[in-house]
Amino acid sequence: MLQGEKITKRFGGLVAVSRLDFEIGEGEVVGLIGPNGSGKTTLFNVISGLYTPEEGTLTFRGRRIEGRKPYEVSKMGIGRTFQIVKPLLTMTVLENIAIGALYGREGARDMKSALAKSEEILRFTGLEKRRDVLAENLKLADRKRLEIARAMATRPEILLLDEVFAGLNETEIDEAIRLVKGIQQKFGTTIFIIEHVLKAIMKTCGRVIVINFGEKIAEGTPEEVTRNPGVIEAYLGNAPGI
Amino acid sequence: MAELAQTEKKNRTCVFLAIGVVLLLSLFPLLSPPAYFLSMLYMVFLYVILAESWNIIGGYAGYLSFGHVAFFGLGAYTTAFLMNKLALSPVLTILSAIPGGFVAALVALAIGYPCLRLRGPYFAVVTMCFAFVVHMVMQNIDLFGGVEGLWLAAMKQPIQVIRGIFYELMLALMVLVVLFVRWMEGSKLGKGLVTIREDEEVAQTLGIHTPRVKILAFVLSAFFPGVAGGLHAYYLTYISPENVFDVMVSILIVLMTLFGGGGSWLGALIGAVSLSLVNEFLTTFVGAEIARIIYGMLFIVVIIFMPNGIMEFFRRRRRIRLAAEEVPES
Repeated sequence: MLQGEKITKRFGGLVAVSRLDFEIGEGEVVGLIGPNGSGKTTLFNVISGLYTPEEGTLTFRGRRIEGRKPYEVSKMGIGRTFQIVKPLLTMTVLENIAIGALYGREGARDMKSALAKSEEILRFTGLEKRRDVLAENLKLADRKRLEIARAMATRPEILLLDEVFAGLNETEIDEAIRLVKGIQQKFGTTIFIIEHVLKAIMKTCGRVIVINFGEKIAEGTPEEVTRNPGVIEAYLGNAPGI
Repeated sequence: MAELAQTEKKNRTCVFLAIGVVLLLSLFPLLSPPAYFLSMLYMVFLYVILAESWNIIGGYAGYLSFGHVAFFGLGAYTTAFLMNKLALSPVLTILSAIPGGFVAALVALAIGYPCLRLRGPYFAVVTMCFAFVVHMVMQNIDLFGGVEGLWLAAMKQPIQVIRGIFYELMLALMVLVVLFVRWMEGSKLGKGLVTIREDEEVAQTLGIHTPRVKILAFVLSAFFPGVAGGLHAYYLTYISPENVFDVMVSILIVLMTLFGGGGSWLGALIGAVSLSLVNEFLTTFVGAEIARIIYGMLFIVVIIFMPNGIMEFFRRRRRIRLAAEEVPES
């Protein structure tokens, strides 16, 4: 459903993503892993329209999307979260979600119906106890949930999750894993997920793409990928003499 | 439920109160008060209109325009020009304030497209420069009277009646603008603007067509000052670039809105009313120089202790009190 061909994104002399090919099928949960600075978030920014790639093509459901504006991409059915969470601080949790419902793919007519539509997502993401709390008063785990809830409210067909498990404790990670699985099962949303927490990758993803220095170095099931020598080297460095 | 009914009741009381105040204000000229009081309140209404309009782009969307007086001045010039060229009757002159609003809105549309790509201080500076450019252009076009400005034929009525008419017109326009901004605050547009203010990237990824929404806000925020400028030109009967493009007005309306609380219709209303009244009283009873000093110090105090405006200051205190009351239960 989402295909990238030879995607290249440069910042001046720095090549952040280099001739990257990938494909994500309907209903899949695909992981994107790689060391820090390997170009994962850059790829998400290219897909969601915040960056325009210098080369390559992106196709979503048969339509070219590279270089389109983020609001067009969002309306076509690609939702995303941000690694550094960006809640709308002066609004309550429910209002945050409602903004997604108001302007997203199905777009509500007014705030009242957007708020009504948001109640379901509020419950699904387990934020109902925080319903009327201002987003600035949320702890990190809830902010991450809110990030997901708001993106879901735009009714995406594919959801790009950028490190939603980072900074959470063990219990919170387990809850978040259940949430991500639930999104895929209940809403049938395809998920493309950047993650460092290995446990989360193992439990959620059917397939993993590994990139380093903007290039794809491995692809396969989580088990295959974690045994791949190239991947181990990318994360730990090569050990001469072994 | 009881709580809901209570807020409902409270809201209704507020609505009745507001209607009462507006009614009393509209009947005030019938008491034939000294012309001074009429013109003082007239200026208050004018500042409320300007502050509320500025609030649309500056308060809700967070794009601090420091050149809003340009739209006011363009409206004033449109009305003065139309009246002189077409020899309009008094009623038509008053109505020509509406094309004044459209001229301001059209100019906002033209400059909004390039300017709204800039953020933060860059937008503030470029809008301020825009106002200077408009000022200079008007000063140098003979068709618009150049430095000398334009005269408008005054109505053939006693001064008291004229003041009363403009008082009522400005009051009506103010009520309209306040109601509009109040409606907008809860509308899809208003929510989109606040999202843009909070984080423009998030706004875009949630599907908000940010360039379109920002332009719409900018055009609306220019329209009402244009109309007000048209009325004010006829009220003054003489306009010159010096008095309708005064940079102080641009700055004052920003300060008024931020003082009351940007991004809230009530905040801009409170800010504009309180500061323009304080300004008037101090100037009249204490003297203009001292007034400026007190005024300046007031701003320093406000910016240090209530950076988000007085509305937010009291709301926050209330929230802290409520939170403190909740603690013993848990």
